[in-house]
Amino acid sequence: MNGYSNQSSASMGMYRQGDVIENETGMTTEIGSTVLAHQRGSEKLAERRVLFMGLPRSGKSSILSVVFENAHPYQVISILPTQERVVYHMVTGIEIYDFPGIDDYAENQFSNAVDPSVYSGDTTALVYVVDSQGDIQGSLVTLFSVMRVAQAVNEQLPIHIFIHKVDGLSEELKQDIQQDIQQRVLKNMGYENLNSTFVYFHRTTIFDESVREALSRVVQRLVPRYQNLENLLNSFCTKSGLDKVFLFDVGTKIYLSMDSSPTEPQLYTFSCQTIDAMVDMTLVLLSDITGATEDDDDMTMQRTVVGLDSNTKIFIYHINSYLALFCVGSAQLFRQKSLLEFNCTKIAKAIRQMLPT
Amino acid sequence: MGKSGAGKTSMRLLIFSNYTANDTRRLGATIDVEHSTVQFMGDLNLNIWDCGGQHKYLDNYLNEQKENIFGNVEVLIYVFDLETTNKDSEYMLYDECLHSLATYSRDAKVYCLVHKMDKIPDPEKKAQTVELYRQALAKRSDLFRPEVFGTSIWDQSLYHAWSQIVYKMVPNMATIEDHLNNFRRLADATEVALFERATFLVVCSASVDPSTALKKYMGVSQSIKTYRFTCGQLQLPFQSIEMRNKNYSLFIEPFTKSTYILVITTDPDIEPAVTKANINAARNHFVKLAD
Repeated sequence: MNGYSNQSSASMGMYRQGDVIENETGMTTEIGSTVLAHQRGSEKLAERRVLFMGLPRSGKSSILSVVFENAHPYQVISILPTQERVVYHMVTGIEIYDFPGIDDYAENQFSNAVDPSVYSGDTTALVYVVDSQGDIQGSLVTLFSVMRVAQAVNEQLPIHIFIHKVDGLSEELKQDIQQDIQQRVLKNMGYENLNSTFVYFHRTTIFDESVREALSRVVQRLVPRYQNLENLLNSFCTKSGLDKVFLFDVGTKIYLSMDSSPTEPQLYTFSCQTIDAMVDMTLVLLSDITGATEDDDDMTMQRTVVGLDSNTKIFIYHINSYLALFCVGSAQLFRQKSLLEFNCTKIAKAIRQMLPT
Repeated sequence: MGKSGAGKTSMRLLIFSNYTANDTRRLGATIDVEHSTVQFMGDLNLNIWDCGGQHKYLDNYLNEQKENIFGNVEVLIYVFDLETTNKDSEYMLYDECLHSLATYSRDAKVYCLVHKMDKIPDPEKKAQTVELYRQALAKRSDLFRPEVFGTSIWDQSLYHAWSQIVYKMVPNMATIEDHLNNFRRLADATEVALFERATFLVVCSASVDPSTALKKYMGVSQSIKTYRFTCGQLQLPFQSIEMRNKNYSLFIEPFTKSTYILVITTDPDIEPAVTKANINAARNHFVKLAD
């Protein structure tokens, strides 16, 4: 229903032992048949891409299967280590690559494992997952070696550090750990003369929506014409008198864009849950209404109004089978609901033209 | 009532206190009897006695506190654990409970829930197991003619069972159902259902096609219930939903002071505003009816 599928099988089998591959610097490296872990992708990666890296068991694959395959957090407690790079597809052509855990952080070996050209391009982002309850020191050492390689290729590569598995920690400890990691990373980057302008930190856990929020921030800048999109939502928001507008990818609950007004911290979590409940209900009802099938068209143009306390309402307008506008506004606005709906139609048309499907 | 670890407290908290199935994992054993009162359908007060299932309590109930526990009982819900190792002792205990109940509250209704049905994956086998229990229990309890349900906290079966139980307890339910059917016809709606406000259990429904309807309402009820809980955490009380797409329009609105109403129309020619006006017009009538 979401329109993406895990096409790991497509990317598998493309590495062959003993292949001779030329990398950007013109060096040739022979991959030894004994060194299984060191695969080098020679195929072309998508232009808009997010790379997921980190030590083994830091939670990369768990994050992705929770977000993209709707797995329950308890289901991913014991999944097998990722052996080969796995691809997840997102709307608007963004692809997310799940790399196998880096278990040997000696720099020369690591740089053999990944072709440095994956870091190139304006529309690439790197996510590095650090297990906040695991070997932080070791993880950071690996991070630095990744950074050195990456920044040599692409100095402006955004590096998002997910301080992961914070669910078991107390509020104080979370902050301490984040501060500690932040200081260590920035200090070390200073020593090594690395550019720390594009380094971001996020605290995440798969047990709430924080990981989706963090991923949204990563993806936001990769969406085609994100600047225009934001302007569009801004003008929609002010002209319709709304408090807040999100553009959601319904399947993953990642937002591709939002207007630039300040956001209440809990609003995102809440909107995720709203979408969850609405999708649940739609599925229940569609299951036996005559003539309804579960194809993409059914969600199209669905409009939902949720009334909260006496003066807040939420309006969800589906643009196509996987994108939806999520608007929060005061109840007075909904006296002229047709006006709002009309505006939405216009915005939806514009967005459909801007974003390739 | 039921043996230790059968799932009585998980069940109660799930239905009446907004717990999720995962939350119930960390519950401990109930000590003695936990009393709780729930306002149901406005004027109906449910006193729920959650009786601890461990041996020493059970002995106590059946001997010294007999009158206290089994006096003035309207409904006895007995929970069977599907995974029990010793069925005979389970039945013995059940017999003793019914015996005491017969002495002190002869008019009580008895419901038996065969719990933890999720342990059997095959639906056919599920039905068989419930049937087996039903036969065994029918033989044992001639006086009360218990109703048997297979339940699990992991799907909607528990809501289903409780909706049935509650349905029988509310007075003049037949009249309300009648009027609801009338309303459905007048408003040209495909389905109409009433939900209890506090628990979001389905109390009454009217539908063109009743065979699948109840299951559907359960689904809606469960998603709304979880959603309403999250709204509550943010101090944004949930009020209403209006959903429209190609196939149907759906409305969930506060109705009388103790119920929510769900209306689904599938005719695309009916404007949502009309349905809303109909709901508002019917409200007064049902308020009177409930009193």
